[in-house]
Amino acid sequence: MNIVRFVKSSVTVAEMEARKIRHDSTELWTRIIQPALWLLIFGETFNAIRAMPSGNFSYLQFITPGILAQSVLFISIFYGITVVWERDVGIITKLLSTPSPRSSIVLGKSLAASLRGVFQAIMIFGLALLLGVKIRLDLPDILGIFAVVILFAMCFSSLSMLLASFMKTRDRMMGIGQALTMPLFFASNAIYPISIMPVWLQYISIANPLSYVVDAIRSMLLSGTYANLPVDILALLISTTIFVVLASKTIKQLLE
Amino acid sequence: MVLDLDNAKTSDITAIKADNLQKIYRDNIRAVDGISFSVRQGEIFGLLGPNGAGKTTTIKMMITLTKATSGQLHVFGIDVSKSPEEVREMLGYVPQSISVDGDLTAYENLLIFAKLSYVDKKERNERIQNALEYMDLSERANDLVKRYSGGMMRRLEIAQALVNRPRLLLLDEPSIGLDPSSKKQVWKSIKQLNQEFGTTILITTHDMNEADELCDRIAIMSEGKIAIMGTPADLKKGVGGDIITVNLGSACPSISFPKEIGTIILDNEKSIQILTTNGEEAIPLIADFFKSHEIKMDSISINKANLDDVFMKYAKRRLSNDVYKTVRSTRRDFTRHSR
Repeated sequence: MNIVRFVKSSVTVAEMEARKIRHDSTELWTRIIQPALWLLIFGETFNAIRAMPSGNFSYLQFITPGILAQSVLFISIFYGITVVWERDVGIITKLLSTPSPRSSIVLGKSLAASLRGVFQAIMIFGLALLLGVKIRLDLPDILGIFAVVILFAMCFSSLSMLLASFMKTRDRMMGIGQALTMPLFFASNAIYPISIMPVWLQYISIANPLSYVVDAIRSMLLSGTYANLPVDILALLISTTIFVVLASKTIKQLLE
Repeated sequence: MVLDLDNAKTSDITAIKADNLQKIYRDNIRAVDGISFSVRQGEIFGLLGPNGAGKTTTIKMMITLTKATSGQLHVFGIDVSKSPEEVREMLGYVPQSISVDGDLTAYENLLIFAKLSYVDKKERNERIQNALEYMDLSERANDLVKRYSGGMMRRLEIAQALVNRPRLLLLDEPSIGLDPSSKKQVWKSIKQLNQEFGTTILITTHDMNEADELCDRIAIMSEGKIAIMGTPADLKKGVGGDIITVNLGSACPSISFPKEIGTIILDNEKSIQILTTNGEEAIPLIADFFKSHEIKMDSISINKANLDDVFMKYAKRRLSNDVYKTVRSTRRDFTRHSR
């Protein structure tokens, strides 16, 4: 496989998404509502009653990385629905009939999901600043957070595409998305520390990829201690590669 | 656009070669059941047949959207199963349902597609503009495609397949759902493409007029098999001439019809269709026959041979035999499952 062509195709598929967003960005703006409510209502309330042991940070500080990760998770885990929809209107047929390698199409689609993730991250940054949440604003940290967000979105959107190849309909994808997001979210360190969970849930949260993402973002956004960062990023890289490879093998099944 | 092909319309180069090609879906559904055919470079070849005959599946195997269960398929000598990307690079594909992206402009649709087809950056813009002009879409190139009419979308679809200058263009029912004038326009561009650039074209349709108008050769598919193949003229000759339709005044008792006059190709309570070599001469004989059997006739009409008849003859023969069996066994399976 020609690597230059591979990269070109992936970027082109992402470009397609960028152009669509440029024509109509309504969806992106509506997506800020949910995380805003989490921060404003849930965050502010628990911040005020000090019910959560959030260590050296205020609770609002503590959940900002969690909400960021959560909203990127929502975008990417439901990305398969977009792909199923694109299958229904023939766009996937068209993409798969080009000479571009199928893996580049899948990679491009996951890049497209991460494009939305990055936009979401920017919005949450803005929101956090607006609420006066103290976050570290070093350029390397911010770039690092974007890198993690991109990888994270790629990882879960390719997982979503992999599932979509078998699920094939929007309804089923909706169901499986719901079934995945809630346990992933609540069995993670997104809105409370792992230490206050019952022991069985602690084990689950250790195997939960979202915990690592939140951990990585938190270390860059709040604490500035990077000890876990290499492990977090390596885990994301490996699972992204696996999911992209698997999804490019299976995506053709969407058409059958 | 530049012409770089010699004047000979068809050449000795084989564009498509299918050998015993087969596609079996789950539950032993034989979508394509061992077909063999070849298409020469520069030809317009039509795959005809009723819905579900296997036309689209055949095209999908060519564009590598689905894998053949068995058999060989070569496009310009390249094995489709071995080098799918190389094959896709030579092909243009217009799927049956609209597949342009409504959320992008026409220009963007072509741009993205050109990039994914690795059209050289220096040529890209020119080719896009050419394709837009060719399909008469230049004026609205920067409108979102979702605001286009069906005919315009179809033309954009073809424009899209042209940006990578395909050697072989696959058109899956290109005029479906188009009004007569858009249809004519699409036909014109298809012919033009073939004549000006020597593009080989494979077209599927169940519109016999379309096939007669466009195709150099056609194959009629039925139930996954090729029932017959040839030039439209030969096939029309092959149906043996004309069809006489007799509308009956009363229900027809079972009769044995004399072979000398013709053969019955369709009969129901109200009417009988008879295939004859010479319709004008057969009419009095037929009239006499029915009179002598005291069957009341309302009207007699004659229909000179056209491709519709070829279609009916070959699609029908299988309908009466095999399909009936399949339907029966499917029904049996269904009953079993629902129990």
